[in-house]
Amino acid sequence: MAQPTFRLSSARLAALYVIIFAVGVVSLLTAVYFLTARVLDREVDAVIQAEVNGLVDVYRQGGLLQLIGTLHRRADSWGRTGAVYLLANPDGSRIAGNIARWPSQVVANNQWLEFDIDATERGQVVSHPVRARALALAGGPTLLVGTDILERKRLASRLRNAMFWCASLCVLLGTTVTSIYSRGVRRRISSIALTCETIISGKLSQRLAIENTKDEFDELSRTVNHMLDRIQQQTEILRTTFDSAAHDLRAPLYRARVRIEETLQHANIPGNARDTMEATLLELERVQRTLGTLLQIAQAEGHGRELSAEVLDLAALTHEIVDLYQPEATQRGITLTARTPDTAALRGSRQLLAQALVNLVENALKYVPQNGHVIIELNSEPGEIVLSVADDGPGIPEEDRERVLQPFIRLERDRANTGSGLGLSLVAAVMRLHRATMELLDNHPGLIVRCRIPASRAA
Amino acid sequence: MNVATHRSDTNFATQAQAQTAMRLLLIEDDLEAASYLVKGLRENGYTIDHSADGRDGLERATSGGYDVIIADRQLPELDGLSIIIELRKNADRTPVLILSALGTVDDRVHGLKAGGDDYLTKPFAFAELLARVEALSRRASTHATETTRLKVADLELDLLARRVIRAGRNIDLTAKEFQLLEYLMRRPDQVVTRTMLLEGVWNLQFDPQTNIIDVHMSRLRTAIDKNFAKPLIHTVRGAGYMLKTPEAA
Repeated sequence: MAQPTFRLSSARLAALYVIIFAVGVVSLLTAVYFLTARVLDREVDAVIQAEVNGLVDVYRQGGLLQLIGTLHRRADSWGRTGAVYLLANPDGSRIAGNIARWPSQVVANNQWLEFDIDATERGQVVSHPVRARALALAGGPTLLVGTDILERKRLASRLRNAMFWCASLCVLLGTTVTSIYSRGVRRRISSIALTCETIISGKLSQRLAIENTKDEFDELSRTVNHMLDRIQQQTEILRTTFDSAAHDLRAPLYRARVRIEETLQHANIPGNARDTMEATLLELERVQRTLGTLLQIAQAEGHGRELSAEVLDLAALTHEIVDLYQPEATQRGITLTARTPDTAALRGSRQLLAQALVNLVENALKYVPQNGHVIIELNSEPGEIVLSVADDGPGIPEEDRERVLQPFIRLERDRANTGSGLGLSLVAAVMRLHRATMELLDNHPGLIVRCRIPASRAA
Repeated sequence: MNVATHRSDTNFATQAQAQTAMRLLLIEDDLEAASYLVKGLRENGYTIDHSADGRDGLERATSGGYDVIIADRQLPELDGLSIIIELRKNADRTPVLILSALGTVDDRVHGLKAGGDDYLTKPFAFAELLARVEALSRRASTHATETTRLKVADLELDLLARRVIRAGRNIDLTAKEFQLLEYLMRRPDQVVTRTMLLEGVWNLQFDPQTNIIDVHMSRLRTAIDKNFAKPLIHTVRGAGYMLKTPEAA
């Protein structure tokens, strides 16, 4: 069936969509994060650089003393702006500034650097990250200017967290929405497929539902419905043409037959004329029979018309028919056997199924040579009844098996036969009406006709 | 196909009809076919009225007095099924034989459900119609009584013991042969067609391509008639079979 494929394809589409969506969201947020971090870093660096330049100027113009004075004033700002200053002797001891001594890992080579310093906050020692620049001033002292970047680091980590949750939420939302959407798509496709199945089974009057969502499905449904309207119209024309043609053919046939029979009642007809008329009657009968079979096929094909179905026992029917044909088979030296379970209940048309069985048996008896065998077998399987008619006659070549089910197809070997070529096509039509599948198989040698008929849904 | 001449050989039927000629009503809009049917049925001893449309047909039918009504399925004014439904509504049990050009299985089921008694598809052999009309008229005149024993000449069939005795001799039959014989013995001196046997004994309505019924009948015939001087089962050419009482032959 087509079902698993489209189920898969819609789920696959949904998964693909979620992946693309997730990659998009994550890369967007990552870019935002890095850009934000860079802007913040640059700002910090610009402030430090400006401060360094300022202090170097002060040193250059006012010397060490003035620099110390400036640093004293600035050093108070630690608590407020988080600025870090240190003017130290080459040995690392503090001259001025707001940190105790020169950090051991820092080299005063005018490079950007980051290190941690410990500060006491509400009685707790907290390690603060610091970004700074250190340089050696002319005359020996080294200067360190930095800023506390704890807040910035916290901000970055909060930003990361926010972005992570944001991305997760997006993916979750995407998954939910797409799975709901894909389920919706699947539901509509399932409903379309189901309706199509009903239409295929003969209910040509069925239409796809329009949900007024104005989407592609509605558009597709409308187009398909339009197509079905056309097909139904044409089938209707074909059917009424066929029905009236059949009716118009039957009436004159009927009159011709009555007329000949009526004339035959008169005793004064010469023998050869009587023979001719009787032969004509037989021919008329053949035409009538073919016409009758065609009407039956047309009826069995359904055209959406419901047949009066009943619950019947196919096992009993099979035995009736085998019983009916037993003497005929014996006369031809053929062994006709039925193997069935005690009962095989199904809903269907007794008359049409009987006709189908009869056609299968007559067909088999026609081709099986003397001392041959014909076995009719019924097997109850879950949900279906399997009917097999097997013979050890000449069989049908594989390339012809599909063809013989079509009306009026007769194989080369049948040229001499007078059959109408409708027997198996009627069986096929009856089986289609009962939603059964029919296949022709090789019996090595011979033919097996196997029909799988859905079992009765009724109790 | 000497279709209707079997009638003239069969004194019994003419005897039965001579007492009170069976009255038939034919409702058929195909005038040419109707005229042949009327002629044929008259020649076989029936009194027959013809109606060309459904309304007129129903009027005549309700005025009563017919033994069997033959009605076409499709008629102008009022179709065959409506006529039957109308009649049955008024508790009119006159047997109705439905003629149909449609001939599909469904129509048959509908026709019989509506209250029709038998169904014949056009075109049919006149002998088939004749045999069925006769069967219906006999059914109307003889009230079916529950019997456990059927007797025709020296042939006896015991339905309870499932035994067949002819002239004191036991005859062994298969279950189907027994049913066949029972069908024939319930209709002595009547033509029974092959399709009537298929319907009555096998409950199958279809058109056999082969002479399967003849094979069954020839077996039954061997069992019943082979060792006896006077044959009871006769072939009626172009029509079917008849179980004839020797007096009537």
